[in-house]
Amino acid sequence: MNVKSALNKIQEPITTADPQIQLIIKRVLQLEKDRLDLKAPRNINEDILKIIKEVIQ
Amino acid sequence: MKLIALQLYNFRQFYGKTPIIKFAGGKQNTTVIYGNNGSGKTTLLNAFTWVLYEKFTAAFAAPELLINKRAIAEADCDRAVEFWVEIQFEHDYKRYQLKRKGYATKNKENYLQSNQTKLFILIAADDGRWYPPVEPAEDIIERILPVSLHQYFFFDGERIDHFFRADRNNNIAEDTKELLGVKVLDRAIDHLKKAKKSLQEELEAIGDSTTKKLLQQQIQLESERDRLNVRQQEIIQTIKGLESKKKVITHHLLELSGAEKLQKLKEKLVAQEQLTRQSLIQAKLNLKQLVSNQGYRAFLLATKNKFFQLLKQLRTERQLSSGIKREFLEKLLENETCICGEKLEPDTQAYHQVHSWLNKSETTDLEESVIRLETQVNQFELQLTEFWQQIDRLQNQINHQYTEIAKIENELDKVNKQLRNYPDRDIQKYQENLEFIEEKIKELTLEQGVNQQQLSSDHKIIEELNQQIERHKLKENKQALAKKRIVATQEAIQRLSEVRLRLEKQFRVSLEQKIQEIFKFISFTPYIPKLNLDYQLTLEDNTLDQPTMIAASTGENQILSLSFIGAIIDRVREWSQRNTLMGIDSSTFPIVMDSPFGSLDEVYRRQVAKSLPQLANQLVILVTKTQWRGEVEAEITDYISKEYVLIYNSSKPNCEEDWLKLNRINYPLVKLSSNQFEYTEIVEIERKAQNH
Repeated sequence: MNVKSALNKIQEPITTADPQIQLIIKRVLQLEKDRLDLKAPRNINEDILKIIKEVIQ
Repeated sequence: MKLIALQLYNFRQFYGKTPIIKFAGGKQNTTVIYGNNGSGKTTLLNAFTWVLYEKFTAAFAAPELLINKRAIAEADCDRAVEFWVEIQFEHDYKRYQLKRKGYATKNKENYLQSNQTKLFILIAADDGRWYPPVEPAEDIIERILPVSLHQYFFFDGERIDHFFRADRNNNIAEDTKELLGVKVLDRAIDHLKKAKKSLQEELEAIGDSTTKKLLQQQIQLESERDRLNVRQQEIIQTIKGLESKKKVITHHLLELSGAEKLQKLKEKLVAQEQLTRQSLIQAKLNLKQLVSNQGYRAFLLATKNKFFQLLKQLRTERQLSSGIKREFLEKLLENETCICGEKLEPDTQAYHQVHSWLNKSETTDLEESVIRLETQVNQFELQLTEFWQQIDRLQNQINHQYTEIAKIENELDKVNKQLRNYPDRDIQKYQENLEFIEEKIKELTLEQGVNQQQLSSDHKIIEELNQQIERHKLKENKQALAKKRIVATQEAIQRLSEVRLRLEKQFRVSLEQKIQEIFKFISFTPYIPKLNLDYQLTLEDNTLDQPTMIAASTGENQILSLSFIGAIIDRVREWSQRNTLMGIDSSTFPIVMDSPFGSLDEVYRRQVAKSLPQLANQLVILVTKTQWRGEVEAEITDYISKEYVLIYNSSKPNCEEDWLKLNRINYPLVKLSSNQFEYTEIVEIERKAQNH
């Protein structure tokens, strides 16, 4: 397997998910990335809950 | 991260401000800095790690003494002297300017004291001006190139053979995974699990909402209601039928000779009974009205007594009347004559005296009102007597009507009996029929009443049930939504866990591939590097039937480490181009390397030199004259676009001067200091200028 397809395959579980699940994953990952430098990001649990509730209505 | 420039001030060997060291980029991506031992190559490497992370490499001696010796020697006692390193870099099309400042103070005993360092950061906006960001500088750097990974990019080439020794404390596997974004994945999974738990708690809080049971109850009640409604209609129809039957029979009875008289009497009695019953109803209604309109009078006696007592008291205290009427005084003043005959002309004393009584007198209105109230209250007793008399009269009326009805019913019974026992069989039969019908109507009317009561109570229950069902339906919707959210969260967790699993596995395999590729290029041995699950690198000999592990030499270990660093940069670059969700937002990595050729022999040096400029996007190498030997120079020269030489000014009187010959030009490496201090100068080599 070449490098590109191997690396693409890693993300397959995300890219093949339902649009709503994909949206949750993408928004959660972005949030985590933004706050990666903080050891204990404040209110992150509430923010993630908010994402889920916003996406699944 | 693309390095742009570096500048030092009073930092170790560098006295005052150094010239700005600009770094090569693009196709000719290599910057070479030449210097002898002790001239400040390691200092330059550590200037990078210090300004970015306040960290030092292992070979950096006495990191607590960062201030330039001459700067502190020239400074007054107890006066803070500044030293700093400034770096400019580009990342994601944005320019950053980072400056770390430190202060050192010496006291009278020449004891040095350093304060905490301060970090400043500016970011160039699109308009070209520099602005301080809102976020702390450390957070920004951490996102661009995390501290745990800096050893891959800023390192001492002589020491990289230690990289994969088992006794090393730092965890290469963890660091690499962080670069790939595994930490982001881990945190996301962890926090999603917590969110799922919160959602489950919310679901529990919504509670049980089985509307089924309620709906069943509602259906039952509604069908019972419908049945009763049908029955009520039936009863009405039956009663209607029976009534008309009754009419027909009564008519027949009238037509039959003999019973005619009795029947007429009966009709008269029935009409009388109806009339009396109506009067009874009216009388009862009148009684009710009387009690509700005037009943309060029975309770007024005590209040009446209280009122007269109060009145008496007010009169005794003369609070109600002063005895002189206002109108009387006004008349006197108007006529200007007192009753005693004295003239009351305005502005005379007599006038004022009479006038002053005006305020004390009351108007006739009050007196009149009191008298009116008195009369009315006095009438209470009379009214009460009248009220009781009316009650008695109505009750007598009612009693009389009851007696009257009883009398009529009695007479009716008699007539009915006579009709029942009448010699004519037909009349008897009709009468029996009639009585049967009347009994039936009575029965049905009773049933109608019971049904009506049942219907109205059922109606209430159904209303309540409806409300309950509405509430529960709302709950059910909430429950369904909560369940949907839990399922979605669980799926997100599963998918992310799968990504993590694949990332760890696939990335390691693809990294191993690249390490093998680079190692094969540099090394002449047939050995193959293997990367285990903990990211430990080993060498394997595959030429034998059974692959055997090889104890790598120092040189091999250095090449292994270099291959690893090169592979990491290559694969992370590949990964970050393909993925914006997890890994760091970077596809450009620099390598700053001190003594890159360590203890390698000629063949390896050539191969390493050949591969180095291709490993990273940008290469800064710090070398001694001896490290920069023919084969290295030959392989790297084409990639160089910036070169600097570190000139070491020695304070040793008989120091041995040294030179570096580049392009047939000699550059000083060591020379005698013009003062008693040793220091290093940085001078740029302009090759193109030489060529002209």
